[in-house]
Amino acid sequence: MVPLAWYLLVAAALFAIGLYGILARRNLVMILMSLELLLNAVNINLIAFSRYLEEGQTIGRIFALFVYVIAAAETALGLAIMIAVWRTHQTVAVDEIDALKD
Amino acid sequence: MSFGFEQIAFLLTAVLTVAAALAMVFSRQVFHAILLMIAVFAGVATLYVLLGVSFMAGMQLFIYVGGVSVLAVIAIMVTRGFMGSDRPRPARTTYGAAIVAGSVFLGLAWLILRVPWPTAPLVAASENDLALLGQVLVSRSGFVVPFELSSLLLFVVLLGALYIARER
Repeated sequence: MVPLAWYLLVAAALFAIGLYGILARRNLVMILMSLELLLNAVNINLIAFSRYLEEGQTIGRIFALFVYVIAAAETALGLAIMIAVWRTHQTVAVDEIDALKD
Repeated sequence: MSFGFEQIAFLLTAVLTVAAALAMVFSRQVFHAILLMIAVFAGVATLYVLLGVSFMAGMQLFIYVGGVSVLAVIAIMVTRGFMGSDRPRPARTTYGAAIVAGSVFLGLAWLILRVPWPTAPLVAASENDLALLGQVLVSRSGFVVPFELSSLLLFVVLLGALYIARER
């Protein structure tokens, strides 16, 4: 089998890439998708830990399933907020949504 | 360490997944980014298969490739204008983000490589332990309360999403 550290390194790389996407992109769609990347990285970690370190092999997977539920909820709400913002502002660029500043 | 089929398959999948993720955050076209995101999700599902947890791989495909991606594509297609190219942020912001992300990765990699992780799983992957997973999920000593709460959360969130996104 592959050493556990390899999975952790892949997950760390995905996490860092998602973090870059959140910080560097302006489009709300891109930010939401980068957030999904972060959640996926966490899930890889949870499942790899469950597979390599856990005797019962269940708890890590159940945590990952709950992360799926949260991710689905976050996507649905995020897209709904995006559509609402588009209706009122005609933009989804996060640095142009500055109504609170005016 | 010998490089058998599993090692080569893992490295290939990992490289493709990380490359797709990089291409996703750097792509100018939002629609290309969505397609690349689906590739990343499929790559993560392949990693789950290599880990021996094919149930999670199936869930990954169902929920992300089948659910989240379709939701994203539909939400973006019904609303014109999300799809256009994304004007880049000022270079200062981009460099700052690259520095933050790079240092997070280097810090995590440093931490990961310092720990003597096991090189093989504790127990062999069981062929079919879905029944056990389901029992833990709905048993009172297990996760029945978070399980029910998550169904409530999904219900409330979907109602809220409908309310927020409705035509006014």
